[in-house]
Amino acid sequence: MNLQLPKEAVVIGTKAHPPDTKAFKLRLRNDNERLELRSGQFNMVGLPGFGEAPFTFSSPPQADGSFEHTIRAVGRLSKRLMRVEAGETLHVRGPFGTAWPLEQVKGRDLLVVAGGVGMIPLRPFLLEVFQKREEYGKVVVLFGARTPGELIYREEFDTWRRQPNTFLHLTVDDVPPGETWDGHTGVVTGLFSQMGIEPDNAAVLTCGPEIMMRFVARGLLLRRFPANRIYVSLERRMKCGTGHCGHCQLGPKFVCKDGPVFRYEELAGFPDTLL
Amino acid sequence: MTDQVSARVASVEQTAEWIELLRRDYEVVAPVKTGKTTSFRPLAEGLEVDWDYTITTIPASKTIYSPQETLVRFARTEEGYRAEEVVPEKRKRILFGVHPCDLHGTLVLERTFLGEMKDANYASLRANYLIVGLNCQSIGEKCFCASVGTGPFYGYWMGQGPPQGCDVLLTDLGGRFLVETFGVNGVRLLAGVEASPPTPDDIGEKLKREAAAKERFRKSLDTRDLPSLLRRNLNHPTWRITGEGRCLSCTNCTMVCPTCFCYDIWERVGLDLSVIERIRVWDSCQDERFAEVHGGNFRSTREARLRQFVCHKLSYWVEQFGCYGCVGCGRCMTWCPTGIDLAEIAAEIRADEERK
Repeated sequence: MNLQLPKEAVVIGTKAHPPDTKAFKLRLRNDNERLELRSGQFNMVGLPGFGEAPFTFSSPPQADGSFEHTIRAVGRLSKRLMRVEAGETLHVRGPFGTAWPLEQVKGRDLLVVAGGVGMIPLRPFLLEVFQKREEYGKVVVLFGARTPGELIYREEFDTWRRQPNTFLHLTVDDVPPGETWDGHTGVVTGLFSQMGIEPDNAAVLTCGPEIMMRFVARGLLLRRFPANRIYVSLERRMKCGTGHCGHCQLGPKFVCKDGPVFRYEELAGFPDTLL
Repeated sequence: MTDQVSARVASVEQTAEWIELLRRDYEVVAPVKTGKTTSFRPLAEGLEVDWDYTITTIPASKTIYSPQETLVRFARTEEGYRAEEVVPEKRKRILFGVHPCDLHGTLVLERTFLGEMKDANYASLRANYLIVGLNCQSIGEKCFCASVGTGPFYGYWMGQGPPQGCDVLLTDLGGRFLVETFGVNGVRLLAGVEASPPTPDDIGEKLKREAAAKERFRKSLDTRDLPSLLRRNLNHPTWRITGEGRCLSCTNCTMVCPTCFCYDIWERVGLDLSVIERIRVWDSCQDERFAEVHGGNFRSTREARLRQFVCHKLSYWVEQFGCYGCVGCGRCMTWCPTGIDLAEIAAEIRADEERK
């Protein structure tokens, strides 16, 4: 099997998440194949001529074999992807990397802390938990974004809040003119005081800017959350997804295959990280 | 019969005839003098094997893993582009006269490309090659394979060694060669070659020459507890002083290293857009943009990049692959324009710790 050879994936639907993000629902062109993905993993998504980059799945595994990527326009490839519409083809390789620990955290209270587009990889985890809601304890989601308009998936918040024993707390850094906000303002760790979750039986899952995850993890360690039950999802430059191109290395870890989901304790003491 | 190690002795003339014989069926890539240095080149008329070379600039492993290769070709269709596999050229080659540091370097590189997740291109290219090793008796000023354990004669090191990595191994005994074969391919390469079985004197001569070669090393790397020594010293001042004070980020160290595997992916777009090629090119952790992501760079300083290179080779690698990423060939320090020397850095850190 050639891990460098991408598969064609047809865009079967798109959904804009203004101001700068777009979701793509895809299925492999070859009906006989499907991606055996797990929430938290990623694909290398490419458009010939514009390159290829890692993007996590934004939906859990689907019965029909379709999968979703939700992509924010920040670079050459992602900006070009904003113009891709249903019917067009992307080239994907994957799935790669580790997944959220859905099995290991069964029975535990879950604290999910997301920052900005860090919610994208956490959404499939939440949706899988909601599918088997009774198998998990209390679920508390703390979600921070720069502005109210960047609270991605806000159209789903009501559904999430209607799940039993599930709580969603929001915060934004700033409210630009023209937007309204009557909720909390400030960094996401500012929501810790109202999270209402005890460390003893809790697992933490976090994704966002690395500097945010630093303060989340360290803040929770001070609150006696155990380092082996804090899971972080990291971003690094990646060209291969297979542990060969070397870009994603963090100490002895290859973020593409040993991660992107790590237990916080696995990463202690390495340089070149903000954690 | 075929898996056994067998040995024989060939005269210089018989060895020369053997190489001619090999050239009929294979492209023989061997060390040849190119100006003031020696490089691996396909043997052609008028080119002779440089039997006494010390080290090439570009390592043997990078004959297989080349600076640039096409991985995928996208051909234009009505709906967009169809990805096509690019199968590397099938060609029978012999990588000839490879010193033990490079034999081990190739095996180390292959722990990346032929490990748990296989790189199809490398595997396909590697299948073209048989390897003829040459025990090394020409010890250079920067060579320290003996203290790492990979040379100067080929043997078992950190879970790898013969019969892997080498099909035939030559030792210059002075006017004659000891020729040892490993496995089926080694035996096949020697088919039809006139040679006599080695005498106890020949074996004794090999041992004597190995001992003599070991005496000639002027450089060493103390590997005692080395991975954890470095892990304990990730904040040692040498990273800043050497990195910021001397490193030019030229990437030479990584370009000449036999075990460096990092690559970048580029896309080459034809002017008429009919074909787009996805190519890989060697990349370097010493390049400023290597660890850059949107919104930041995890190794924006030369201090961080130098620490990454040295700690990867001498510490992280052991955790990743079960062996050092350094085989003691000395190339990185030879080709560093400011003479940065990872063995000296390790020694400096050790000395500081021992003083405490």
